[in-house]
Amino acid sequence: MSLQQMTLLRREVLTIWRDRSLRYILLFGALIAVLLFLAIYSAQVIKAIPTAIVDLDHSNTSLELTSYIRNTENLQVIAYPQSFEDLEDLIRQGGVVTGIVIPENYGRDIALGRQTRLLAIIDGSNMIYATNASSAILTIARTIAAEAGIKTLVGHGVQYSDAQAAYQTIDFQEEPWYNPALNYAYFLVLALALNIWQQCCILSACMTVAGETGRASWLQIRAAGFSRLRLFACKAVVQVVAFVLVALPVYLLAGMVFSIPMRCGFLALLLFTALFAVSLQSVGTLMSSLARNAVDASRFGMIIALPSFVLSGYTWPLEAMPRWLQLLARVFPQTWFFQGLNYLTFKNPGWDFMSRYFLALLAIACVCYSVAAVAISHNSYRVRRAGS
Amino acid sequence: MRQVWGIAVYEVMHILKDRTLMLMVFLVPFLYAALFGAVYASGVLTGIPLGVVDLDHSALSREVVDTFGNAQHFQVVPAVATYQELERAMATGVVRAGVIIPVNFEQQVSEHRLSQVELVYDSSNLIWGYNIRRYALTVINQFYQTHAAANLIGLGFTGKEINDILDTVSLNTEIWYNPALNYCNFLFPGLILLILHQIGLLSIGLTVTREKERHCWLHYLGSAIPRWKIVAGKCLPYFLVNFCNYALLLWLASSFLNVDIGGSLPLIILLGALYDVIITSAGFAISVRSSDSLVVTRVLMLLSIPIFFSSGFTWPLAYMQPLLADLVRLMPYPWMAEAFRLVSQKGAGAGVIAVNLLVLGIMACLSLFFALNFSKRLNSWRVRPQDFYCNDHARRVSETGGVSC
Amino acid sequence: MEPVISVVNLVQHRGKKPVLGGVSFEVAAGERFGVFGAGGAGKTTLLHSVAGIEQIRSGTVIVLGCDVRRSEAFKKDTGLVTEERSLFLDLNAAENLDFFSILKNAPGESAGRLCQRLELGAYLGIRADELDGGVFQRLSLACALLGGPRLLILDDPIRDIDLESRQILINELNRYSSAGGACIWSFSDIGCRRLVDRVGWLANGAMNIYLPDQAIQEWERWRQQVETGGGVGRS
Repeated sequence: MSLQQMTLLRREVLTIWRDRSLRYILLFGALIAVLLFLAIYSAQVIKAIPTAIVDLDHSNTSLELTSYIRNTENLQVIAYPQSFEDLEDLIRQGGVVTGIVIPENYGRDIALGRQTRLLAIIDGSNMIYATNASSAILTIARTIAAEAGIKTLVGHGVQYSDAQAAYQTIDFQEEPWYNPALNYAYFLVLALALNIWQQCCILSACMTVAGETGRASWLQIRAAGFSRLRLFACKAVVQVVAFVLVALPVYLLAGMVFSIPMRCGFLALLLFTALFAVSLQSVGTLMSSLARNAVDASRFGMIIALPSFVLSGYTWPLEAMPRWLQLLARVFPQTWFFQGLNYLTFKNPGWDFMSRYFLALLAIACVCYSVAAVAISHNSYRVRRAGS
Repeated sequence: MRQVWGIAVYEVMHILKDRTLMLMVFLVPFLYAALFGAVYASGVLTGIPLGVVDLDHSALSREVVDTFGNAQHFQVVPAVATYQELERAMATGVVRAGVIIPVNFEQQVSEHRLSQVELVYDSSNLIWGYNIRRYALTVINQFYQTHAAANLIGLGFTGKEINDILDTVSLNTEIWYNPALNYCNFLFPGLILLILHQIGLLSIGLTVTREKERHCWLHYLGSAIPRWKIVAGKCLPYFLVNFCNYALLLWLASSFLNVDIGGSLPLIILLGALYDVIITSAGFAISVRSSDSLVVTRVLMLLSIPIFFSSGFTWPLAYMQPLLADLVRLMPYPWMAEAFRLVSQKGAGAGVIAVNLLVLGIMACLSLFFALNFSKRLNSWRVRPQDFYCNDHARRVSETGGVSC
Repeated sequence: MEPVISVVNLVQHRGKKPVLGGVSFEVAAGERFGVFGAGGAGKTTLLHSVAGIEQIRSGTVIVLGCDVRRSEAFKKDTGLVTEERSLFLDLNAAENLDFFSILKNAPGESAGRLCQRLELGAYLGIRADELDGGVFQRLSLACALLGGPRLLILDDPIRDIDLESRQILINELNRYSSAGGACIWSFSDIGCRRLVDRVGWLANGAMNIYLPDQAIQEWERWRQQVETGGGVGRS
């Protein structure tokens, strides 16, 4: 490496360091993010869904049912409204997520073998609660129906074992794979922290060209006949190294301190992250080469970075999006990275499968750098007069 | 009023002349909303690829397979037939769930011995995980009913008797406010509010920093025009545009994405107005105290994801660290998002959201206070060199440590 | 008669660096007071302090009878031309004049007269950032004169501009002074001393006041001292 290139590399390190806001963003942005999201998802799973029971019967049978519901894993009974209207108000105000109404004469109807209906109400406005609550209610419904049915059959003179066999010979065992505890922290924390990290990287990368050409010193560079491409390539190298270095503490914190599982090897993850860093740098450089100034470059970067996480498949599965949107999403390196991150950390499916993600990031970087190179070569980047 | 109106008119002119700003203010909110709308357009997972490993190949096992196959939410992937294939298919995302029926399944059931069917599902992405679990439980319950009915036929009961026995105690479930558990209904209103928050802050957040960078801010400081007129004139265009965006985006969401946006219109308007006042005046307050546009852009850009995920809109505040939950409550977004959901989805009245209205009102007053109380004197004792992204002025600032003299 | 500007023991810093270390002077009505100094001497800091757009570390600045620390009332009778190009660059000349008249609450018809005198008619439709230096400064002065200020604060207004524009500006300032207006005018070219009534020479945080002829003598003395390598008496 020539002395000139070393000087350029050193200069870029100084430039990043002396840009105070950028320095703090790169150094602390992702770290603060991982701590923030760990704090958000510290409970990790939704258990103890606030539940209310309206017992209009007050019989021993209804008390038994109430006791059973109280002991259900995912529901936490916190209120006993006296009426349906009270329950309605409680759900509307968000005091409880689930309500179960035991009708009048419940105990008597059970004893007489008559049909009776329980009512479960779920607040569907928050799907995190609602899907959990819905599953819990379905489990309760099956158990209640089976017990009542067996009792009725025995009442009809059927042998208990035959009655039980009618309902309970087949058992469906649930087994969540890759994240057995359905842990939200495992699912989201690393991805969200890395999303902040990638936004920090984009902000830095957006300064590559516009940050240089916006200074009066650009006149000196132009007058010296120095190769622009070499200059920006040196800047890119420093930035990519910086991006990877600031990602390391995120992985260390997430993996070693907070034990977020990472099934893949650390080197594979690091390589994948490094490739993503390159593609991010290429996208930022492209924005920077096309923008009028650094503020515009940052705004372009923001316009892309903001929706990229939504498109990445973490808030809604990529496969469930319209086909045309899936294709559009695959233009962004964020989609490939976050999809790949999920596969690598949870499943580690092997190089045969993962190679397409590595290659996609490489391809995006090549395209972006190529277009940026053309833009840099052809744009005169005249220094605007002071104040404009 | 001439001065307020004049400043507002020239601010509009500037917005229209700055192409990037114009795109951000007028177009980006709709682009984002359209994009997010397209993402969540289906709103409900259907056709979930399901692998079935039937090691029994009996009539009963086929019944299990058919029950899942006929369910609207699942789609059986024929290429998966063995456990190894299921493992591989799950690892590569070809299937997201699997049913494994053991050998001698039917025989064990006929001998009244407990037989286990395994339901496996991909929980590496909890959107898949929780929804598959819910759909699967529905299918399983349905299967139990059918299987129990078949057994009761075997015990000699008639059709009516079977129905009566199966319905001895039934648990009817009603899902309120979002009956189809549609993710679009759940997330989209919150995303709209976030878009307005971010774009609003980013656009007005540059209104004073831009003037500072061009040295025009000196003329505002050097004139006798009162602060409140400067704030009113500068903020008025952004307030109006943001409010129009608020109304339009909600209308688009309701009309084209069938997002449930009901409830009291005056309350929705009041909430929007309060939110708009907070964003606009907070953005101005940030801008007047910031040294340059780049810092404002950077910081505001990084706020969006943390705000959304910490707001309690998706993950409940009750499940967060208490200190964090308290800190989050210092921001307007959580209060606005909660109030909006209560009004638009649950039809809540003013009484229910009284606390939210009060807090938002206080926040509006506070942000207006900070916007209106800025110094018309530069504090050059704390001027720092600004030598990045700079123009000639900033270069001289970095060399002399201040305004050139 | 009360002075238009009264500065007593003004101290200003720029970051940690002291710029003005106790400057005192007065400017009477109708007077043209020049502030001379090299780059970094504190001219702009002083002018901005007088204009009431900079916080004052210590000392007293009274402009048109108002303490600039406590009052904004004097600003309606002042006009400011900055050293840096500080007009609204995305607006054309006419729009700048209109906007400044709004900021200063000045009647609209005054802009027309100023345009005539400063010969801006041909440039009204041109964006401010496309104007040449001289035309730009004429426009800046026009904006500063809107509303008929009693005090003009000018930060090196005629530096590096064409001769024609320079003369137009000087003529207008002469007219302004004859009508009783006071002005404080900074410059870094000693040749401008003839355009003012007194020269306040800023150096090392202090101000020495000279008549224009005295100022040129002092300048010559200092220049000889520097050229003969006899130490730097002034920066």
